[in-house]
Amino acid sequence: MATSLIRRAMNVTSRVSSSTVAPASRLVLVRPYASEAEAQKVEPKAAASTNMKTFQIYRWNPDNPAKPQLQDYKIDLKECGPMVLDALIKIKNEIDPSLTFRRSCREGICGSCAMNINGCNGLACLTKIESGSSETTITPLPHMFVIKDLVVDMTNFYNQYKSIEPWLKRKNPPPTAGKEIPQSKKDRAKLDGMYECILCACCSTSCPSYWWNPESYLGPAALLHANRWISDSRDEYTKERLDAVNDEYKLYRCHTILNCARACPKGLNPGKQIQHIKQLQLTG
Amino acid sequence: MGASKGQKLSGMQKQVLSLYRGFLRAARSKPAEDRRQIESIVSAEFRQNSKQVDRKNFLYIEYLLRRGKKQLDQLKSPDTIGLSSVNVSSSKKQNADT
Repeated sequence: MATSLIRRAMNVTSRVSSSTVAPASRLVLVRPYASEAEAQKVEPKAAASTNMKTFQIYRWNPDNPAKPQLQDYKIDLKECGPMVLDALIKIKNEIDPSLTFRRSCREGICGSCAMNINGCNGLACLTKIESGSSETTITPLPHMFVIKDLVVDMTNFYNQYKSIEPWLKRKNPPPTAGKEIPQSKKDRAKLDGMYECILCACCSTSCPSYWWNPESYLGPAALLHANRWISDSRDEYTKERLDAVNDEYKLYRCHTILNCARACPKGLNPGKQIQHIKQLQLTG
Repeated sequence: MGASKGQKLSGMQKQVLSLYRGFLRAARSKPAEDRRQIESIVSAEFRQNSKQVDRKNFLYIEYLLRRGKKQLDQLKSPDTIGLSSVNVSSSKKQNADT
């Protein structure tokens, strides 16, 4: 009420002043709101409280080769995003630029930021920072050769994926030449739970069987993809694919430990797909 | 360098030597002047590492062996014609903010 009265008074006086009073005189507006100086006084009180958390991160530098160490970093969670990847980026930007890790999409679809957080494999961009004052330990994927800090050598993992020939193989040309190979909705539904795999290696590096035989056992990720191509109705080399995997080491090192299903950040179940392959080996 | 080459070599020493042999064999399949350059770079690197790296630092030696094997696989491909090395000084220089 009071503001509108003042405003109307201002308008009246301004109209009057513009015509009669000299341009040098100016009206000072009386505002009922707090001034900028008063507003700034409120802010420091809110920022004074901090929520510090300690991160213990595995560090190893091939240029200064000493023993690997766990280095402590303290950051304020109030000025950091909720995910572990946000914390790592903040540490790299503000505290230690030499911290090395892989990252790309920051939304859990590329699989680059796979690492071991508090003992469990997962994607750093999808793992929330645990609230509370306990320390968070970040180490690279277990039982993988370390190139630097949190970056591991994935070539063996990728070679195993390549070895199962993850592409469509046919003996006959498609039924209608030049057009796509038709597939019923039921057959397409068989691929659900396998095509979503992003090859982050969280499952394979959580499998104790894969730790003890990384070169001979294919691992849950490669076997999940093997099942994806075996179950694809458009693929005609099913028998050859089954024979290629039907090896004491490649497939049967799996003892249904099921750490893979627990570790998968996309919620897939590689153990179930490996069971499916084993069943097909029995019947086919 | 500890034990002389005549006495019993440990498994890791044998791996290093076989990697060195592999590099020299790969160099033989390249044209003459590239071959000389490859041999000089490879022998210089191996000699320097043998003096600087501690014999007991297995972690670092295994890292160098893995890196060397990958480089050897690249060198073996017929498309690769040579090696070159760049010296990066390890001293930290702070860049002035513009």
